[in-house]
Amino acid sequence: MTPNIAIVQVESAHWRTPRLWLPLFLLWIPALVLAPLVLFIVLLYCVAARVNAWRAIAALWGIVCALPGTNVHVETHDARVRVRIL
Amino acid sequence: MNVNRHQILEMLAAGKITTDEAERLLAALEPEPAAAEFTGRTSNGATVKTRARYLRVLVEADESMTGMKGQTTVNVRVPMQLLRAGVRLASLIPAQAHQHLDEALNRHGVPLTLSQIKPENLEELIDHLEDLTVDVDGKEGNATKVRVFCE
Repeated sequence: MTPNIAIVQVESAHWRTPRLWLPLFLLWIPALVLAPLVLFIVLLYCVAARVNAWRAIAALWGIVCALPGTNVHVETHDARVRVRIL
Repeated sequence: MNVNRHQILEMLAAGKITTDEAERLLAALEPEPAAAEFTGRTSNGATVKTRARYLRVLVEADESMTGMKGQTTVNVRVPMQLLRAGVRLASLIPAQAHQHLDEALNRHGVPLTLSQIKPENLEELIDHLEDLTVDVDGKEGNATKVRVFCE
C-alpha cells in the first residue's frame, strides 16, 4: 500500500507547529507527470551500471509501498519532532 | 509505580503524548508482555505465533552521551516490510562497484563481501530479527538506554 498521509509535528522551546496532515496521495499527480522522465533516468542508469532494470524498479517501488506504518519521534530538551506515515 | 511509568503518565496528563503512544511506551517498559503479544490462540486453543510487523528502536540518552542539555529520546518504528524492501536495494549496486565497496568496508573493519550476499540470505536474516531483543543500559550514573525489538 502506498503512503497516503504524513503527520508531521515540530516543536521547539519558542514555537510549535500544529499537527500537519500532509496528503501524500496528492503527490501522485506530479509523480505521474514526471514518471516518464524518472523512468528514463532509471533505465539509463541500469543500462550503464548493467543492473536489471525490472529488479531496480521493483526495489524502489517496494520501498515506497513499505513506508506506511513508519513512526519517528525524536525529543530533546528543547525540541521535539514527530513524523508518522500512514 | 516506578519513575519511568510516572513520567509517561505525566506526559499523557499534560497532553504531550497520545494514549496510543503512552500505551506503547508502557509496553516498552515491560518486555515480557510485548513478547507475549506475538502468540495467539486459534479457535481450537492451539498457540500460534504471529509474525512481527515492526522493528522498534528506543533510545534514551542523557547529557553525558549527547552533549546536549537534558535527556534525548528517540523512538523509531519501522515496518519489517521496509527492511525487506531495503535489502533489495543491494541489487542496484553495479557488479563492478562491489570490489571497491568490499575494500572500503574492509578498511573500516567490516569484513563483508557484497558479491556473496544473496537476497534470500538477507530475507532469512530479517525473519530471524523477529526473535531479536537488544537491551543496553548505561554504566552506573549514566541513564542511557537502548532497546531494539520487534513487535
